[in-house]
Amino acid sequence: MAIRIQRIPSAPPAAALAARAVAIVLALLVAGLVLAASGADPLRLASQVLGATFGSSFGLEDVGLLVTPLILTGLSVAVALKIGAWNIGAEGQFYAGAFAATAVALFVPGPTVLMLPLMFLAGALGGLVWILVPTLARAYADVSELITTLLLNFVATLMVYYVSTGPWLDPSGHALATTARLPHDIPEFWGIVHWGFPLAILLTVLVAAVLNFTRWGYEVRIAGSNPQAARYAGMPFRRRLIVVMLLSGAIAGVAGMLEVAGTVHRLQGGISNNFGYLGIMVAVLARGSALGVLAGAALMAVILNSGIILQTQGITVSTVLAITGLILFFTAIGDELAHYRVTRTKPVGA
Amino acid sequence: MDAMPDNAPAQLAPGTPPLVLLKGIAKYFPGVVANQDVDLDVMPGEIHALLGENGAGKSTLMNILTGIYQPDAGEIIVDGYAKHFASPVDAIAAGIGMVHQHFKLVKAFTVAENIHLGWSQTPKRISAAALEARTADLAASLNLAVRPGARVSDLSTGEQQRVEILRVLARNARVLILDEPTAVLTPAEARELFRALKQFVARGNAVIFISHKLDEVLEISDRVTVLRGGRKVTTEKTADCSETMLARLMVGREIVLSDLRARSSGAAKISAEPVMSLRGVSARDDLGHTALDRVNLDIYAGEILGIAGVAGNGQKELSQVLTGMRPATSGKIIVDGHDFSAADAAAFAGFGVGHIPEDRLHSGLAPALSVTDNAVIREYGKAPVSAGFLYRPREAAALARSIAEAASVTVPDFGMPVRNLSGGNQQRLVARREMRIASKVLIAAYPSRGLDVGAINTMMRYLVELRDAGVAVLVISEELEELLNLSDRIAVLFHGAIMGVVDTAASDIEEIGLMMGGQRKAPTPQPAGL
Repeated sequence: MAIRIQRIPSAPPAAALAARAVAIVLALLVAGLVLAASGADPLRLASQVLGATFGSSFGLEDVGLLVTPLILTGLSVAVALKIGAWNIGAEGQFYAGAFAATAVALFVPGPTVLMLPLMFLAGALGGLVWILVPTLARAYADVSELITTLLLNFVATLMVYYVSTGPWLDPSGHALATTARLPHDIPEFWGIVHWGFPLAILLTVLVAAVLNFTRWGYEVRIAGSNPQAARYAGMPFRRRLIVVMLLSGAIAGVAGMLEVAGTVHRLQGGISNNFGYLGIMVAVLARGSALGVLAGAALMAVILNSGIILQTQGITVSTVLAITGLILFFTAIGDELAHYRVTRTKPVGA
Repeated sequence: MDAMPDNAPAQLAPGTPPLVLLKGIAKYFPGVVANQDVDLDVMPGEIHALLGENGAGKSTLMNILTGIYQPDAGEIIVDGYAKHFASPVDAIAAGIGMVHQHFKLVKAFTVAENIHLGWSQTPKRISAAALEARTADLAASLNLAVRPGARVSDLSTGEQQRVEILRVLARNARVLILDEPTAVLTPAEARELFRALKQFVARGNAVIFISHKLDEVLEISDRVTVLRGGRKVTTEKTADCSETMLARLMVGREIVLSDLRARSSGAAKISAEPVMSLRGVSARDDLGHTALDRVNLDIYAGEILGIAGVAGNGQKELSQVLTGMRPATSGKIIVDGHDFSAADAAAFAGFGVGHIPEDRLHSGLAPALSVTDNAVIREYGKAPVSAGFLYRPREAAALARSIAEAASVTVPDFGMPVRNLSGGNQQRLVARREMRIASKVLIAAYPSRGLDVGAINTMMRYLVELRDAGVAVLVISEELEELLNLSDRIAVLFHGAIMGVVDTAASDIEEIGLMMGGQRKAPTPQPAGL
């Protein structure tokens, strides 16, 4: 018997799923080995992480809080990818959304029941404005959105640092680097998890439905896959590109609004917690599927939460980032390997 | 030129083993039998043609022989010894080399650098001049004229092919496999290639020649092996074959490729007024050069208008202008009395203009999306695939199935990416898809390109069907014979201008050939039947 390896053009779903599972296990194994080498006891740490995450409702609530922004930033990146654009700027749009929502909350008086929807709109608008220039530059001048969206991240980050330590600094004097507590909170529905969580899921399902079950969504998929074919079929590629990119920015802005109004309750520097960048990873893990974003975000949230628990055990935050990187790395390899098939044949010419 | 014996194998000493013997080769891909029970023997000194339709298994068989694929069953015997090729390196070490249809040369490198690239006999440290000298020696010893110092990107296709052949032969190949070698050559270059091949086999080597072109196979080969559906049909001495016989063996039925201009009694008459007219239309190509120069053209309903010309004389731009994909820089496009000069592709398609594009995979399809998504690209906006703003995947799948059925394309899974279909099947799907919307006009650019005889025949039948239904059909082709068989009138394009329009019945190849070379014909005749 001879064993041979063969590449097949498209990976069967079962193989792809199995490869991913193996990839995650391998990444955790490697991380465990490194931890063991640096003197920690990986088994004890693992049982602590698992116990603290899934053993109590507190752990699950923490994950629920983390997963909400991850779903939306992941969705933001995934939606842009559908039309073939790389939105590296979900981070900046997240800040812009949080900024706009905070401005409305702090400076517009009104009852919470009115103000929350208004803040939601402001958040979406903030994200949309933040991606507007990169969108138009891409649509009309073919300027790479990869660069422009990335650069605007730094502007948004610094802008939020500035207002939260300067003009909008909490006048009560209790806080040194944040705005005052926002007067309007998104209500909680389970422990500390607010209604932003189901809203994020709803938005994802909605976007998936629009992409798969509307004419507009069909045009977006064709245009994203091959702009030439869209031109051939007479679809307005540029209009679709603009709308999809603006939608992508608005979704990331909503993530920022939910974070500031539901979880943190104050605008402060570093509020994004890298959710915008992690959204890129969530979208890559989702393999271009809007619903896959939910699974990707859940995995990411568990990893982040594990990182927080590990930090209480004296493991540094860079270790957690390394684990995230390892998972992405092994997943990429796994995705490629899922295209291969091992067959056995009778020896040839023996 | 060395004369080739009529029947090389017969002149070998009895008991001479074949250079290459394939026995019972089988190769399976998921859902497809690419090869089954294929036997092939290639004797020293012969040119062995391998003939078959698209998807008959020719390329798979050759990929097995050159070590790119491993067979699922069967044996490869070279010079009497069983061999196992784990990679193309093993195959070339055993003296088997292949020149692919799409050349595998580094364009930015010189000829000498390409010849020596990835070759164990290339000295580790060597100057450019020494490399070129080595190349010149090789070329001289193998009698292939190449310019060692020239950059590959500056070479003509024929020269590039010689470099490919030289690269294979330099590695002491005794069996040279050529995949559709003349597809990219001018007739003069093809004759030169044939001469070189005959010299090569006269030294006791062998050539395996893959082709669709029957006349060529008859001219160059000593024996022919015909594959159909992954199996070997027969191996015959070429001297015993005729074109019709080979065509029948290849497709398994008689081919009639003539007189498609005759109409049945029920066919629609040619209209009195043109359905589409160009008046002084000019357009630029992607680089901004003038590609169409004040073109006047009328297309009538119920006729097939052929566009002849050497490729690259504005055909692509013409088909794009006629379907709204490329704006005209001046002139008027009139469709059914309406001014369409500024209309976009959606307006043309909405009016009933179908378009089989030149480069189907990159402009007519989204390769990474599913067969279903691609099949409905023309009708997604209409019921039943859409209802209001909704897109209905189930109805889309049903439409895709019916299009595939009409095109006789078997699709194992409509959710798989359309790029997984063979080129011929993609072409048939696109053709059927476009026919459905072409209620007024069909613009078909090179509809038979990449298809084999059987599929070309089907494609021609499609076009005739449309014509008889009263649709105006414009066919762009490089195959003059095809145009003469099919079209009622032929317009000749040269440097973006129309050299003249001739009535096919009253023309001959020579007249059209002269126009293709840039000679103008004075008056434009009206179509027959007026």
